[in-house]
Amino acid sequence: MAGEKEKRAINRLESMRPLRAKVNETYLKSVEAMQAGKPAVWGMLNFYYGDPVLKAMDIEVVYPENYGAIAAATGVAQQYLDRANADGFPTHLCGYSLTTLGYASRMMKELKGQIPPEAPLGGMPKPLFLMSSAAICDARYKWFQSLGRYMDAPVWTLEAPTPGVKEFFIEGYYDRMVDLGVKHLSSFVTFVEDMVGRKMDWDKLDKTANLMIEINRVWHEVNELRKVKPCPMHSRDFWSAMPAALFLAGDLEDSLGLYQDMYKEVKGRVDSGTGAIPEEKYRLVFAELPPWHSLSFFDKLAERGWNFVIESFGYRPPIPIDLSKVSDPLERITRFNLQFFAGYYEDARKQNVLGGAFAYPYLKYAREWKCDGALLHPLISCRSASTHLPYVSNMLMEKLKVPSLSIEGDIVDLRLFNPQDALARAEPFEETMEHYRKMRKQEGLDW
Amino acid sequence: MTKVALIDKSSNLISTVKGPTGPEHRQLANEVMRQALEKVSLQIDDISCIVATGYGRVNVPFADRQITELSCHARGVFSIFPNVRTAIDIGGQDAKCMKIDNGRLISFVMNDKCAAGTGRFLEVTAATLGVKLEDMGDISLKATKRIQISNLCTIFAQQEVVALLSHGERLEDIVAGLHNALASRIAALAQRLGIEPDLVLTGGGAKNTGMVRAVKESLGRELLVPEEPLLTGALGAAILAGETYMKAVAASGAFSAKPRRLEKATFFGREHR
Amino acid sequence: MSDKKRGLSKAREIYLNRSQRVRELKAAGKRIMGYPCAYVPLEMITALDLVPYRTCGDMKEPVTEADRALPSSFCPIMRTCLDCALKGKNDFLDGMVTIHSCDPQEKTARVWESYTDYPYFHFIDMPVTVRPEALEYFEGQLNDFKKTLEAFSGKKLSTGTLEAAIESHNRQRTLVRELYELTKPSPPLVSGTEIVQVVKALMSLPVAEGNELLADIMSEVQTRTDGPERKAARLLIWGSTLDNTDIMQVFEAKANVVMDESCGGIRAYRAEVRRSPDPIEGLADYYLNEITCARSFRQAILGETRKRYARDLQSRFGYLKGIIKEWNINGAIMLLVRYCDPFAFEMPSLKDYFDGLGIPNTYIEYDYTAGALAPLRTRVEAFLETIS
Repeated sequence: MAGEKEKRAINRLESMRPLRAKVNETYLKSVEAMQAGKPAVWGMLNFYYGDPVLKAMDIEVVYPENYGAIAAATGVAQQYLDRANADGFPTHLCGYSLTTLGYASRMMKELKGQIPPEAPLGGMPKPLFLMSSAAICDARYKWFQSLGRYMDAPVWTLEAPTPGVKEFFIEGYYDRMVDLGVKHLSSFVTFVEDMVGRKMDWDKLDKTANLMIEINRVWHEVNELRKVKPCPMHSRDFWSAMPAALFLAGDLEDSLGLYQDMYKEVKGRVDSGTGAIPEEKYRLVFAELPPWHSLSFFDKLAERGWNFVIESFGYRPPIPIDLSKVSDPLERITRFNLQFFAGYYEDARKQNVLGGAFAYPYLKYAREWKCDGALLHPLISCRSASTHLPYVSNMLMEKLKVPSLSIEGDIVDLRLFNPQDALARAEPFEETMEHYRKMRKQEGLDW
Repeated sequence: MTKVALIDKSSNLISTVKGPTGPEHRQLANEVMRQALEKVSLQIDDISCIVATGYGRVNVPFADRQITELSCHARGVFSIFPNVRTAIDIGGQDAKCMKIDNGRLISFVMNDKCAAGTGRFLEVTAATLGVKLEDMGDISLKATKRIQISNLCTIFAQQEVVALLSHGERLEDIVAGLHNALASRIAALAQRLGIEPDLVLTGGGAKNTGMVRAVKESLGRELLVPEEPLLTGALGAAILAGETYMKAVAASGAFSAKPRRLEKATFFGREHR
Repeated sequence: MSDKKRGLSKAREIYLNRSQRVRELKAAGKRIMGYPCAYVPLEMITALDLVPYRTCGDMKEPVTEADRALPSSFCPIMRTCLDCALKGKNDFLDGMVTIHSCDPQEKTARVWESYTDYPYFHFIDMPVTVRPEALEYFEGQLNDFKKTLEAFSGKKLSTGTLEAAIESHNRQRTLVRELYELTKPSPPLVSGTEIVQVVKALMSLPVAEGNELLADIMSEVQTRTDGPERKAARLLIWGSTLDNTDIMQVFEAKANVVMDESCGGIRAYRAEVRRSPDPIEGLADYYLNEITCARSFRQAILGETRKRYARDLQSRFGYLKGIIKEWNINGAIMLLVRYCDPFAFEMPSLKDYFDGLGIPNTYIEYDYTAGALAPLRTRVEAFLETIS
């Protein structure tokens, strides 16, 4: 991600840079917090649900999922993976989870609580508690539960309702999801208060929730601008800028300003007809986490005219709804969190795509962002991010005549993604995209 | 590979044979046994007790007992190294680690079906590199640089090897990297069991000097290697056969062996006696 | 169904030809409701005069159709389950009830729903914690299920009929537990292999017929003289699903499996639905709290702010302690189906728990294919050699 001196085919946004710096800031803050005797918490991606609570309580959070990626990128992951396997966790489990389990084993069993010296970015300090989430996959909450072998840190598992598309429209269903969300979050607040021995500052939570919602609204608007041809912002800028909106990395007031700056920059490009790459020949949607270690791969594709105009729904801001009349911050947070899935359901039902949140967003993206193809990146050791991709690919073809190219990679074993191979497959895929462009015309689709 | 070990009353090894490898030879335990008997001019009826072991143990119609290779390896290794507490066996199809107490298997772990943690990993990647499998170990010892190779999957390692070659990495360094990848996988397996010295390495992996080095480094421990690392399972089976016989004789004065017919195993009409 | 056979031989017959009875019932005008997981509340299906039928996979059938939509590194049980459905092996089904008990169940349900067109398809969402608000939400889910099922069947689900159905299913649970009482003697009076056949037969029959079969089996087994032989070890198997006799025989070749804590054994029968003024409340409580699948997040004290590992283990696995003692178990096998995340994460902790009880244990992983049986056999036999 460093060293962008040579001329690249992707015209990066200047406004992305300060947002990209937010992640490192988070780790430094958590280590500082620990050194100052303040608590730090291990959290996991929970889609705007538990994060604002911790943020409002000034608790520093580190994200082992993100740390797994960092450990992989800096080459220390292997020893943690081996250690987790040696402790009896099977090799086919999620690579991020094995990395954390191995890290915890090394820190707690071998080093008696000291942060391992080899740990990048100052390491993850021993947590006061763990904030886990049931969203997206089983591996995540089972993984935090398993950390109990190494540390007696209490675990809170955040509930995450997962409705079916049809069922969602049963009378009263949505209200009951809200009810669960609010009660559950209120118990979580009590838990956090007990853990840190302080009371929640409700005014602050109110402000935090509003900031979170506003940040994501602006961030959503930024991405709406990408529907324009040529697309003014590439997926690489999305990934660089997302942590501040997705898990509230860094100071929120500051982040809001930065996303507003980004909106201005992107809008400027729209007005002047400037694209994110010199000559946009193909518009693509990218599915799942990118190959972090081979991002220059996208420059090679950009040289060929491939512009990545939209990406995985799992990391995108929810489709905004008006929550200004919801006075209880817990309810506002809950409704915002539910919107992450539910924002797509009305439309999914109309299109009769019962795969729901699991597949539908990709169809919406392909249609509205006028994509010529999808680049799918199944991840060997991340089943939750890979399971739905064959289905997504079927649906894109069946409903929209949009072809997919699938190239395997992994979340910790970064070498599994082979950029040369991938490029070799990209060239013939251009003919496929051309072919289906004609097919779509024949079927009366407008792109 | 089918192996036979014959021992006498005092547990001295009197004849051994290592048969050919390959699935088509699995049924041919009778052939290998015939060769072993010929070497010392004995008849099949001269053998007091026969134990069959390994994946093919159910396909040896003339055996009196079937015991898994884990128990047999444990016993065989113990007869050579009486202080053994942990043994690692790296075979072509699987890898296993055994905790041993006074010759008895007390716990074990085996890797999964996947080839990445077995000798097959080197076999496949040797073919990709155009190197003979038996040369891999020596080549790896000439490495001057540490290259990390994915140890998740054999298929991916193959692709990676090709990519490394095209990047101009040296063959020696790549081969050493492959050994390290396999060794770290096996070390993780062994650590699951908890390693206590003495630690012994057996199986095809122990015949590979590069592998012995890599496992030593991965575990950071000393390793003992028997002179004939491929024979410990057969040797252990023979010793357990001897013990079975002695126990029966002590208990009831005689051991009733199965009728000895040196025939090929048939997979369809088994148990037609 | 031929009435020539009774008891265990009838169970075996149904095991070998599972859909025979539901096909007959279908021809006679009954409607058949498929379900893929022990968490689906069968009582509600039974009460509306529908026949619940657990859709299983087939270990011997290579997965081809499911490859269209599910990757190969995915729960092999759900892959074969969906595969059989897509191949039309359950063509008699009038509907499917799916549930979010785990991620593969949920993902498979999505694909199942869009690739088939049964007259009825419903997905029940399920929380992962056992907290009060989660229970309330789950109860709401069951009430939704009730509504759609009523609409489909054209009948109202009255409290009385639901209570009667609960009683029948509770009766079945009691009978299965009584059957397991008969594995307590040494040698046991009934084998693990026979129980696999019985339980799978129960998953293929209306509850009343299942109860009749069980009553027959009880009287047969209590007086039998042709029971299993005494083997070297008395095993407990813990795992997700063990629903195939070929797998069970790998264990029973050299040991007696006296307790199968999986969905092919006692799991769906270990507890009972409590009587409650609102029967749906009782069902929600039973299905969320009482079934001991690794999918649930359990704690010693809900929302605890102090955690102790030993207490945590006790809250998750404590029920196994009594089983080990009462059934005089001397070896425990953790049988893991590859790619099953909930059970895989549970294993090292369960190993700690077994070790703490001093019970010899081993972990065996396989991929639920016929090809996995030979390596499975070596691991099982070697484990038995270590404890005998």
